[in-house]
Amino acid sequence: MKRIWSIYFICSFFISGAYCPAYSDGQQTVYFYNTESNINNFAALKGGFDIYLENRGGYFFQPFDLRENFEAHIREKKRGNIYVLSNWHLRELQKKKMPLEIAMIGTLKGNEEHRKVLMAKKEIVDFAGLKDTVVAAAGTEQYVHNILKQILGKEHEALLEDITIFIVPKDLDALLSVGFDFSSAAVSAENGIDKMKLMNPDHFEALHPLGFSKKDYLLVVATLKNPTEQELQLLEALRKMQDTDEGKEVLRLIGIDGWRKVK
Amino acid sequence: MIGVQTISAHLKKMYFCKVLSLFFFCGAAFAQTGKVLIVNTDNSVFRYEKIATEFKNALQLNAYKWTEFDLERHINDEEELKRLIQEDPPGLVFCLGSEAFLLADKLAHNKKMLFSGVINWQRLAIGEKTNGVANELSPMHELSLLHYFFPSIKNIGVVYSESFSLEYVENLKKTALPLGINVISRSNNGQDDINAVLTDLMPKIDMFWLIADPGVISGLGTMQQIFDTAKQYKKPVYAYSDVFIGQGAVLSISVDLATIGRQAAGLAIKMDMDDKAPSGVVQTPVGSTITLNKCVLDMLKLKFNPDALDSVNDIVGCGK
Repeated sequence: MKRIWSIYFICSFFISGAYCPAYSDGQQTVYFYNTESNINNFAALKGGFDIYLENRGGYFFQPFDLRENFEAHIREKKRGNIYVLSNWHLRELQKKKMPLEIAMIGTLKGNEEHRKVLMAKKEIVDFAGLKDTVVAAAGTEQYVHNILKQILGKEHEALLEDITIFIVPKDLDALLSVGFDFSSAAVSAENGIDKMKLMNPDHFEALHPLGFSKKDYLLVVATLKNPTEQELQLLEALRKMQDTDEGKEVLRLIGIDGWRKVK
Repeated sequence: MIGVQTISAHLKKMYFCKVLSLFFFCGAAFAQTGKVLIVNTDNSVFRYEKIATEFKNALQLNAYKWTEFDLERHINDEEELKRLIQEDPPGLVFCLGSEAFLLADKLAHNKKMLFSGVINWQRLAIGEKTNGVANELSPMHELSLLHYFFPSIKNIGVVYSESFSLEYVENLKKTALPLGINVISRSNNGQDDINAVLTDLMPKIDMFWLIADPGVISGLGTMQQIFDTAKQYKKPVYAYSDVFIGQGAVLSISVDLATIGRQAAGLAIKMDMDDKAPSGVVQTPVGSTITLNKCVLDMLKLKFNPDALDSVNDIVGCGK
């Protein structure tokens, strides 16, 4: 395990700026964009995946921090590549008539779905108590707005006008900010709540769930419709990452520990 | 606190009212509201520049205007800043760094003031109409995350100087107890033999916590001694900044500068819109950046919570 990490760090060092899209042109590539992932050292992320994938068919991993650039690659509709993204993002792309379909679903400890939870201070007993408060969350403001809209439902969505969304880097920061009286509530993935329980039981006890979003997949892999044999091979190489400790550890960086194939 | 959307709606109303007031009343008061003066100690310092950039982005979204004054770029900074404040009176002054705050506070004492990027803000005399965002994460934030990453760590060692960090260390101890963590501290005033202090401390602890105490980390030599002794005793070092990852710290949980900028902007807007907004409020930064040194982690064979990997922002390996 130690060896593969060392190798990929050495590689990520030498391939500095390797996440430049031009790098992987002409190679079969796994394109990645996910605003919910915390890691922002793409060289380390790319290095981890590349070491694994390169040895299993000469594939590459290409993370993106800009949605437009990621989507530009999809629009090229170049065969041979696959795309790792959030399911809500995939749905948006499908609505825009992008010919994508789910091929695999990310799993974590056997679960493939998660919900977002609105955790509030105990004195806020219902949605009305959120008026003129700050809600902390990770992600983009638009994304958090949409999640809150979903959690509040039609009946209470007008409340969004009176809520300040404050963006923080991680779910854990959002949850802790409630404990520091900076915010009155936080939006977090369900596993963030479990983490909070372990991290600071007292802070956890001071919060309670006020509402839940709909369940959605943790992460998905999409291909262009009617995947080619080459794409299926790349999918299989990615799926097999969960079979080794090294592969699993790299998957952990993006919040999953395995993949399930969609038939 | 007022919602962002509400703020936008209010701002539209506010600007309409401002335009009206321009016609009917004297323009002096109008010139002040909604206008922010950013006084920066040195904009070439990454920390200040990053906070200022995020602050400006948030102001722009809320249709605010600002003027910037970088102390480092003015030879007669006091004279020039004084003239600027007189000629174009701001509604609020946002100061980055102690130097900027001390000067602006002197020259624009009656104005609404906001500060960030100030080390140990407690030593500042905070007057009326002044708010701020602290420079460091709260010990609770760091301890909670540290406990999550290394649940088996029970005894943490700290070396501090009484003149700089006595209160901080007392607070750290109190905060750590409910998490089942015992903080073992040793004071050192910088002239004492740090080696003797470290040699006494290391066998008693599971991890060394490096705090931002200028009385201890006064020179490169001291820092090196801390890391060398920790290595000798095979003890991991936790640090408050990722600057120390390269020296061998296993984990750093540092403040996220962009979040500070957004927090400051939120305070600025609130202060500008509401004359009765409370003053003397110093917010704790709520965003963190976590860097893990995988090389040291493997070398020391530390028990690490694998579920925490997805909370890491940056991982550094042996090759870096």
